[in-house]
This record gives sequence, structure tokens and C-alpha cells, in this order.
Amino acid sequence: MAPPGQAQRSPSPSQPSGKGEVSDLKAQLRQLAGSRAPGVDDSKRDLFKKVISYMTVGIDVSSVFGEMVMCSATSDIVLKKMCYLYVGNYAKGNPDLALLTINFLQRDCKDEDPMIRGLALRSLCSLRVANLVEYLVGPLGSGLRDGNSYVRTVAVIGILKLYHISAVTCIDADFPAMLKRLMLNDPDTQVIANCLAALQEIWTLEASNSEEASREREALLSKPLIYYFLNRIKEFSEWAQSLVLELVAKYVPSDNNEIFDIMNLLEDRLQHANGAVVLATIKVFLQLTLSMNDVHQQVYERIKAPLLTLVSSGSPEQSYAVLSHLHLLVMRAPILFSSDYKHFYCQYNEPFYVKKLKLEMLTAVANESNTYEIVTELCEYAANVDIPMARESIRAVGKIALQQYDVNAIVDRLLQFLEMEKDYVTAETLVLVKDLLRKYPQWSQDCIAVVGNISSKNVQEPKAKAALIWMLGEYSQDMHDAPYILESLIENWEDEHSSEVRLHLLTAVMKCFFKRPPETQKALGDALAAGLADFHQDVHDRALFYYRLLQYNVTVAERVVNPPKQAVSVFADTQSSEIKDRIFDEFNSLSVVYQKPSYMFTDKEHRGPFEFSDELGNLSIGADAADTVVPAHQVDANDKDLLLSTSETEKEDGRALSSNGSAYSAPLYDAPASVPASQIQSDLVNLTSGLSGHVPAASLAIDDLLGLGLSVTPAPAPSPPSLSLNPKAVLDPGTFQQKWRQLPISLTQ
Amino acid sequence: MLQCIFLLSDSGEVMLEKQLTGHRVDRSICAWYWDHAISQGDQLQPVIASPTHYLFQIVREGITFLACSQVEMPPLMGIEFLCRVADVLADYLGGLNEDVIKDNFVIVYELMDEMIDNGFPLTTEPNILREMIAAPNIVSKMLSVVTGNSSNVNETLPAATALCVPWRTSDPKYANNEVYVDLVEEMDAVINRDGTLVKCEIYGEVQVNSHLSGLPDLTLSFANPSILDDMRFHPCVRYRPWESHQILSFVPPDGQFRLMSYRVRKLKSIPLYLKPQLTSDAGTCRLSLLVGMRNDPGKTVDSIDVQFQLPPCVSTADLSSNCGTVNILSNKTCSWSIGRIPKDKTPSLSGTLVLEPGLQRLHVFPTFQLGFRIMGIALSGLQIDKLDLKNLPHRPYKGFRALTRAGHYEVRA
Repeated sequence: MAPPGQAQRSPSPSQPSGKGEVSDLKAQLRQLAGSRAPGVDDSKRDLFKKVISYMTVGIDVSSVFGEMVMCSATSDIVLKKMCYLYVGNYAKGNPDLALLTINFLQRDCKDEDPMIRGLALRSLCSLRVANLVEYLVGPLGSGLRDGNSYVRTVAVIGILKLYHISAVTCIDADFPAMLKRLMLNDPDTQVIANCLAALQEIWTLEASNSEEASREREALLSKPLIYYFLNRIKEFSEWAQSLVLELVAKYVPSDNNEIFDIMNLLEDRLQHANGAVVLATIKVFLQLTLSMNDVHQQVYERIKAPLLTLVSSGSPEQSYAVLSHLHLLVMRAPILFSSDYKHFYCQYNEPFYVKKLKLEMLTAVANESNTYEIVTELCEYAANVDIPMARESIRAVGKIALQQYDVNAIVDRLLQFLEMEKDYVTAETLVLVKDLLRKYPQWSQDCIAVVGNISSKNVQEPKAKAALIWMLGEYSQDMHDAPYILESLIENWEDEHSSEVRLHLLTAVMKCFFKRPPETQKALGDALAAGLADFHQDVHDRALFYYRLLQYNVTVAERVVNPPKQAVSVFADTQSSEIKDRIFDEFNSLSVVYQKPSYMFTDKEHRGPFEFSDELGNLSIGADAADTVVPAHQVDANDKDLLLSTSETEKEDGRALSSNGSAYSAPLYDAPASVPASQIQSDLVNLTSGLSGHVPAASLAIDDLLGLGLSVTPAPAPSPPSLSLNPKAVLDPGTFQQKWRQLPISLTQ
Repeated sequence: MLQCIFLLSDSGEVMLEKQLTGHRVDRSICAWYWDHAISQGDQLQPVIASPTHYLFQIVREGITFLACSQVEMPPLMGIEFLCRVADVLADYLGGLNEDVIKDNFVIVYELMDEMIDNGFPLTTEPNILREMIAAPNIVSKMLSVVTGNSSNVNETLPAATALCVPWRTSDPKYANNEVYVDLVEEMDAVINRDGTLVKCEIYGEVQVNSHLSGLPDLTLSFANPSILDDMRFHPCVRYRPWESHQILSFVPPDGQFRLMSYRVRKLKSIPLYLKPQLTSDAGTCRLSLLVGMRNDPGKTVDSIDVQFQLPPCVSTADLSSNCGTVNILSNKTCSWSIGRIPKDKTPSLSGTLVLEPGLQRLHVFPTFQLGFRIMGIALSGLQIDKLDLKNLPHRPYKGFRALTRAGHYEVRA
């Protein structure tokens, strides 16, 4: 990634106010409004451009609204577009003035040119003024029946926009049912995809107050529909493919053959040029095979190569997003990636956040066979110029050591770090050596010899200092001058700013006292005195506690401070496995990038200082859709999280409230503006069936499917012969299953 | 669902704002983003959580493309889309910079309007967009002056949307039919100070530039497809012939496009070596570098250069070379451009680094990044066997080229 250089970045420039210019513009526009002189369009265009450029830099030009509308009577399409843009921007703030635009927009909706019809319809729906919805229903209805697919695409999304302005109007006009019909019958795949997107959103939002809507929403996941989409998947645009795949990932197939058939059909999507499609496909594969252990592992094998290619081929931004997903998979099944460790080696000029992900993966995949090489590689980073990176890699070495592979070699490396005489390397290493000794006390001899040589003056970081002091206390019998080092540290008590270090110092000097009383007695006295006078509550309390303990009974005190210790076998993991499972279920979503399940960051409390309208609830389609359907084989992840389910109900409530709110403001529209719904439907049927030869074929395919049941490769829709990409699966089901059985599995657990 | 897209200049100014849904995203998010970007420097992640929105950002030629969302969505959908927007704009406007966007912001708005509606991407196919909105090139400007028709919107809607090959302009016509196939490879390698190869891998692309009339059907085959480890295809490639015979069969889009990208792993030989030597003693460090051919690829290697970052503890550096030029920038980046390796001598760079007072020896070592370019060969060894064209009235001209350059090619000291 190449963000603009530090020096170039300055705070946002202040925006000019431009009051005088705006009133100038207003006068000029007024002059042109009625004029029909030749060339007037060109001067209008210049003025419009100025208005919009003011709007873009943030000057309020809403005062010329009236003039803009007056000038909008033109046949020039660029002028129209600029006008639509302007109107769309300011209509919400000026509902009364917006009424002025309705007239010319409605006229444009009946234009001969389909492009103008589409644009006008889009702008009409983008006004988003609640008291104008009555004017939307008519144009939208005819838009859905338009002969041109471009207009229909726009109309479908327009209905979604209408729903957000006034849900009641949308439902009353029976638009969802029309969308459904269009989705099943339209020859144009973009129309179908838009219908799917709109219906998913509408039905998810409606589900809470209508039985029918929630039934419809579930019907989207029914076999005939899923098959209908799958069979045409290659005709969809790449973005629509991602949408369909997202839906398929929630589908629960009836048996294993069906799972294999779907995977067979989708396997080539793994080699699509668009990363979004590849990841969506991977999600389908992972979700479908959750219940089949062996195949699930093979899926990992199969998706490894596409993921690694995506990481190396895209822009830095893309590869980061892919890497986050790879990171999730590696953390889930490190064994399966243990032979690919070289892919996680860091390149010198990668940004730090990428290197950090890679280091974590390297740590995770380390095992008996590759530890030596991985640790060698990590040591290279430790000696590198990049200081944060050096620190992270030392920590990684330590983590690998705690995983119990090849500890011997690693301890040697760590001790070499201590000899590098770089303060940050020493600091990080000390912390690690401390952890290592807690787990492997048998290494104390080797470590202590080296640690004893470190001058405490060179260690400044509190964590490292605390670690060093802990070792001095714990192994004071083996370290010749431990009492004296502690003594000199206590002499500088006043200069020690970190309370953590002072606490450790107290404990260490106590431990040392029980092992070598004569040498430590003076130091202990000084330490307790300094501790009792300390302003920090914890330090003070601990000093007091030790003091009274010693007063009470010295042997008891020894038992408390120096009990026989057991080696720590497992260090607590920072992230619980439930959370990891939850994130895995949300594969191909932001959760993966943030490494948090979505309920942790899409909750409302999270939202901060910026002001927001209550439309928030309306928009949360993506997150909700992910939660709405719970395939049976996800049970393991589901019953774990009470927290989640409460937050979900909260969300539901919020949504119900907000949609009620918008319903409240919806006015009744007068009957003449809309044709009775049933009539529209029958019109629609007549029209669409007359549209093209594709239609009967498509609906036939559905009937076939309903009858056929299991076969995933039904008759493809007939299309111009020489060009059709064959929608049939590449391999017959038997061969495909065979091929999958032969995929290598690194290790079966 | 993206809610809003902003284009920011390299000084953080909002150049363009495209609201996509009913929920207006306030501009103040840009100010927040900009402060955040300054505080993070080059550690800025592509996906950020602001207090109110999730932000996707990519930076191209100093221009920040910022998209906002408040709901869970596939992250790659956001990022890929922004990348496509940047590609399409660069293609339309002949490059990306602040001026060109400000001059053509109407076109940018028009394009965005067709690419995304209500936060959901519609089409990003350049061919379809081109048929809906004409590019602001000189020809169309001339035309508008001559004919008096100054609209840059095409009168007809693209027919391709209805076809089964949405990526292809309907029925282009060329007097000279020609097609060029380029193999472009990038070699990533990590080499340790003792010359051992830690990892070496090639990322390659098959780029096609096609100017063919009508609806041609092409098949491209390789002499040794088995060396490829993994590949990704342009949507025009038919999957079945590849699966069964490793043949690329496709109806090409018009113009330049990336037909396929691939990866070749576990390569054993690298073309160039670099031998660094660092000896430090009593506060100074002697540095010497040697660069030379390791495995002669049989073609000229040119544009060779070496870049490295001097450790922060170096106070002054005095470096000279026997060929090429050496530059040390104020941020302690050192670059040595060699060009071609001369016949009579081995390029070498040597000099002394003076360490900061108090330091005896150098403890951190630089990584050397080597750049080079080799025309006429694909180092992975991939070879095109033949290209067949069907459905064409005349015999077209076919051209093949290959090029390998260094990707992340680094040598550790």
C-alpha cells in the first residue's frame, strides 16, 4: 500500500463559504430558465457544473433549488443527470421544493429513451421524501413491466428504496410479490440479482411483524430456488455471484450427494478473477462440509492454493483482507498448513499489520518437522532494522518454545538474543525467559548463567525489569550476587516509577531472604520500610502484609512466599474457542478482519459521537441475514452463546420500532395513482411471458427441478449455441467425488 | 451494503461524495479518517472501524477512495469494488490525479451511478460502461465541436448486457485484426546472507491485447502447463477445456485484459546474486556488495538496481561503486542503480558506515532489495505452445512477448 506521504498530509482545508458566488449563480440560472435560444444548453451546462462543484466542496447551494428545477426542462441528458444529482442531494432538506421536481421526473419516466426512463426512475426514488411516495407507486409499477431490462433493474432497486421511505406503501402495492415473480421469470440476470437483494432485505425486515414474510424469507433457501440460482450462476455478474453464493452458504442440503453436486458445480468459481467471488465460494464449501469431517479437511487442502494466489496477486489492500481469512483458517487447523509455512515468511517491505498476521500464522503452524526452520527465520527478523517487528518475532519464538517443540534449540537462540546487547531485544527476551522457566524449570541452570550477566542498569522497560527481578528472587540460591543486585535496586526505590516493578521487588527480596537470610536481611528491612511508605496502595498493602506475616511466624511466612511450585503446563489462551467458532461461522465478513464476532462490534453501544438517524435499524440487513438462518449442522456453535441471543433480540426490537416509526409517517396514497395490484400482476404475467424465449425455459427448469429433486445438472437454459458457457458441471458426480477422495489430507485428527 | 463513497485528494480535501442509500453519511467522517490516517502513517489498515462506520479505503496515485458501511458485509466486496472503481476511472480519464478528477467530476458521478445502486455493485465491466458513458477523450471532444452534439452519453443502451458474453462489446470492427499475448512474471525471492535460497516463487499473468472483429473464439495452449501451481481466470475462460486438457478456450473482451494469473512455487534457480559483506569494528563498519549473474537466463538482464535502508544507528555513510550511481536519501534509504552488468567487471559497491558514538559494532542489518528486468523470457519456464483463432474472416496478426521482473527479491545481510 502506498498511502500519501506523511508530509503531504495536512488537516482538512477549511471550506470556502461562497455566498456571493451562489447568489450570482442564482441570477444567471434565472436568466437562462425561460430562454430557448440556441446554445443555451451549453451555458446551462457550465452553470450546472459550477453548482455541482460547489455542492461537492461542501458549499450549501440549496438556495438555487427553484432555479435548477426551472432549468431542468431540457433534452440534454448530461444536463438531466447533473440536475438529478443536485435534486437528489437537496430534496430531503426541502420537501416542499422537491414537489416541483416530481412533474418533470414523472414525465421523464415515460420518455422514449430507456436510459432516460431508468435515470429518471432512479432519481425519483432517490428523493426520499416521505410525503411524495404517492407519486412513486405508478412509475415503479410500470418500471417493473418495462420492456427494457435496464429500466427493470432500476425499478427493482427503486422498490427497495420505496420500502425504506414507506414500508406500508410498498407492501400495500404488493410490490414484494411482484418482485418475486420477476425474480423467477426475468430473462435478465441483473434484474434477478437485484430482486434477490431487494427481497432479502425487505423480507428480513418484515419478518418480525408478518408471518408470511418470514415464510417467504425461508423459502429463499428452499431447494428449487437455490438450484434455480445455482444453475444460472455463470450468467450473473461477478457481484451478483457473490450475493447468490452468500445465500447458498446458508442452504442446508439434504444429503451428501447433494453437497458434492453443489461443490462440483461451484468448483471453478474458486478460480474466478474476482476475490469476492472466490471467498464467497470458499465460505459455501466450508459451510456445506461442516458435518463431514474428512471432506471438510479436504476442503482446506483444496482452498489453500486459491487463497495463497489471492494473497500474492492482488493489491496490498486485497491481500490483507484475504490474509485475514487465511489467518482464521490457519488458526483453526494449523496442522493442515504446516507444510506451507514458507508462505508466511515476511517480506521486508510489507506493512507491519501484514507481518503481524504472518508471524501469528508461523507460530501456529510450527511443529516438530519445521520448528528449526521457522525459528531460524524468526531470528532473522529479530536482527532486522524494524524494531516493532523484531519485538514481535522474539515473542513469536517464545510462543513456539511454549508449544514444546525443539525447546533445546530455542532456548539457545533466546540466550543468543540476550547477548545481542540491544535494549529492546534484551527486554523482550527477559520476559520470555521468565515464562519459559515457569514452564520448563529444568532449563534454569543454563538460563540463569546468562541472565546473571545482564546488568540491571541496561534493563529499563517495566515488564522486563519485573521479569528480571522475578528471576533474581526465584533463583537467588543459584545466582551468586542476587542479594546485592536486589539491594542496589532497593536503594533506588524512589526512582522506580512502575508499581509493578516495586511489587515484584518486594516479593523477590522476601524469597531471597528465606534462601540467603544473612546477606538479604538489610535489604529486606529497607524494602519493607520503603514499601510501607509507598504512596501506591497495592505496594503499601503488600509491604504491610509481608511485615505482619514475618512478625506472626517466620516459617508460615516462608510457606506463603516460597511454596514448592509446579511447572505451568498451559498458559491461558486469550480468545475463547466459542468466539473463534463464532468468527468462523461469519467467514467472509468484517468479523474476520477485526478478529471479533460481529455482535461485539455491530452493537449500537459501539456507535459514538457522530449523529445518526433512526434509520440505522433499517440498514442492518447484512448482519441480520447472517444470523437469521441456522443450518442444523452448525449446532456446535449455536447453543454456546447466550450473550449473542440477547443482543439479537435487542436488535430485533430496535428494528421493529424503527419500521413502525416509518410506517407511522406514511400517508395514504390515492387510488387513481396506482392500478389495483391484481391487475398489475396479470399484466406482469402477460408482459413477461411475452418478453423473450428465455422465459418459458427458465420456468420450465424450475418445474423440472421440483420434479427432479436431486439432480444438480438439469437442462441448461437454451442460449445462442456458439457462445454459451456451459452451465453444466464439469465432471459427472461420481468422478468428482472420486477426485475429492484422492485429494491429499495432511493428517487426520 | 456500502453507504457512501468519498474521493479524497492527497491533502485530505473531499473531491467527490456519492451517497448511496437513504442514510446520509456525514462528511465529518472524512475529517476523522484523515486524522486517523495521519496518526497511523504507513501502518494504516485497509479496513478500519471508525466510531460510527466501518471504512474501506484504498489509495491510488495519492487519491484515497473511501467507502463507508454500517453493516456486516464481505470485506473483499468493498475492497474489490473500490479497486475496480479506481481501475475504471483511471481507464476513463487516462490516469488518476486530483486535477483530472476535478475536471471530469460529472463523468465520475455518471460512472458511479451506473456501477453501484443502493449500495450494491451492479456492473464494473469496462466494456459495458463504455457503451453507456463515452470517455472524455479528444476524439469525442472533436466530434462534439463538429457535430454540435455535445452529449457524452451514448444514445443506445449496451446490447452486451443481453448477450451471454457481457464482457465483450457487441460486434467491434477492425481493419487490422491483431492479437498480442504477453507473459509477464514477477519473481519473489528471499536469499540468506550465505546465498541459500529461503524461498522463491513466481507470480505471473497472461495479458492479452485483442483487436479482433466480430465474435472470435480463441484457444491458447501451453507447452508445459503442468508447472503451474494455481491459477485464476478471467470470466471469459471456459473451465471444462482447462480441466480436461489444460487449454484456455475463450471469447476475448475487446482491448487489454488479464486472461489468467498463476503462481509457480518452489523454483530452484535465480538469475542474479548479491553478496553483502559487513564487518564492523571500533565504531565503523565496512560494507561491500557484489552483484553478478548466477544463472544466465540467456537474455539481457537490465534495469538492475539495489535498494536498502541503513540501520538507524548509522550516523554517516560514505559509499562508492565501480559502475552505476549511488544515492543516499535523507531518510537513510540508499539506492544503487546499475543498469546492465558490464562485460569486463563485476559491479561492486563499497564504503564505510560510521556508527553513532558509543556503539562499537553493528547489531541490526539491512535487507537488500534487488530490482531487475529481463525481456524475452518467462523465468518460470512457461511457454506458449500455440494460439488458434476461429470465427474470423481474415488471418489476424498474432504477437507473443514475455517479460520477467523482480517482485520482492530480497537478500539479507
